[in-house]
Amino acid sequence: MKRFSTFCYAFAVFGGVSAVAAVAADQSVHQKGRVFSVEALKVKTGEAVVFVNDDTVPHNVMSTSAGNEFNLGSVAPGTAMPVKFDKAGSVQVICAIHPRMKMTVTVD
Amino acid sequence: MPNIVFRGPVLRSAALACLASIAAAALAGSQTFAAATIGAPITVPVPAPQKGSAESLKDEYRRPAEIPFPASNPFTPEKLKLGKTLYYDTRLSGSGAQSCASCHNPGYGWGDGLAKGVGDGMKELKRRSPTIVNAAWGLIFMWDGRAPSLEEQALGPIQAAVEMNMPIEKLLERLNSITEYKTLFEAAFPGEGITPAGIGKAIATFERTAISGWAPFDSWIDGDAKAISASAQRGFALFNGKAQCNTCHVGWNFTDDSFHDIGLPDADIGRGAFLGVAVKMRQAFKTPGLRDISRRSPFMHDGSMATLEAVVEHYDTGGVARPSRSDLIKPLGLTVEEKADLVAFLKTLSGSSDVIAQPIQPR
Repeated sequence: MKRFSTFCYAFAVFGGVSAVAAVAADQSVHQKGRVFSVEALKVKTGEAVVFVNDDTVPHNVMSTSAGNEFNLGSVAPGTAMPVKFDKAGSVQVICAIHPRMKMTVTVD
Repeated sequence: MPNIVFRGPVLRSAALACLASIAAAALAGSQTFAAATIGAPITVPVPAPQKGSAESLKDEYRRPAEIPFPASNPFTPEKLKLGKTLYYDTRLSGSGAQSCASCHNPGYGWGDGLAKGVGDGMKELKRRSPTIVNAAWGLIFMWDGRAPSLEEQALGPIQAAVEMNMPIEKLLERLNSITEYKTLFEAAFPGEGITPAGIGKAIATFERTAISGWAPFDSWIDGDAKAISASAQRGFALFNGKAQCNTCHVGWNFTDDSFHDIGLPDADIGRGAFLGVAVKMRQAFKTPGLRDISRRSPFMHDGSMATLEAVVEHYDTGGVARPSRSDLIKPLGLTVEEKADLVAFLKTLSGSSDVIAQPIQPR
């Protein structure tokens, strides 16, 4: 039940309360050449980071940092995925497939 | 970068993405769902692959000029001598019968030539012994990536009960009882005595000198147009083209040091033991390099394929289709001639081999 109610909250916020809601993507992380384009970046609580697979191979961007866990699964080249961080803290982001790809998102 | 808009169908996509995320968390055994929120996918342009010349493609495969040693464990001749001595010493195992070289033998391309490794008590292990050739360039170690450095990797099999079965305290006691080892350790690590860290650093230093020899492929890359056959040259083009081998077997050592499920039918979960939350990591294993590949049969993490022809056949069919299988693995539709060309190319990657002198063991 808790999972369901949390989902509803997340959906309401991130899915857009109104049908015309728009979220500007002001921070992007690119993945060309099997590397993240930045090693670290900062966002404010509730802001999104867009993980852009502009590489030639799939990437599996994810984090197990408490409170900001996410797993994008296998994302095909030519696909960008926004992720909104709702809890302040340091988020260690990896590509599960390619261990060279590591970065940190600091959520203020 | 387009704005992220959530409305209409995208709104439903966002809901599905959230549901998928919840399902993933539930599968992973997550206790709560206080998590980052995933939005709907956005299609972005991907730059077309650069159609460089054959020469620029060759540049990606040139051998490096030097062996990289980490700042945390710089090369010294003393460490190399100690590391080589330890590497070949069977007294590093509980039984006194196995050394590192038993399973990582230069005579077999720094492997053991067996389908599965053999551990303590001659019991078969569950995976093939990986080569250590060109480990100096490695990013992460073991088939499942459980060792983050070569120094840590070196200590793992020694202590593993099923492998060399030697508790570290017992090993320190044994090495301390051998006078000549005290001298070797003092030369390599002055004033530090015999320590687990010293053992790991010394063995890792030796392992970093296990380099694949100059191969016909290197001569071809270097400009000798006749160093490899026309069939092998066609195989190189296929490797980087239709067969897509280079999506994982990247660069001069032919590995991305990354993890992929290539659809082998065994049940070993591989990298999934550490990153099971990522579906693609279940049954994924680290991409092995391809240098000296002709000396390293049988192939795959489970040693299930005896020949390079069988390996190419596997990739042509795509193996077992399942959720964890890499999206890069799919039927290739190679012709008989193309398969033969790929094998011809792979056989150009094995170099000249030097005689490796085995050290006299300290007493």
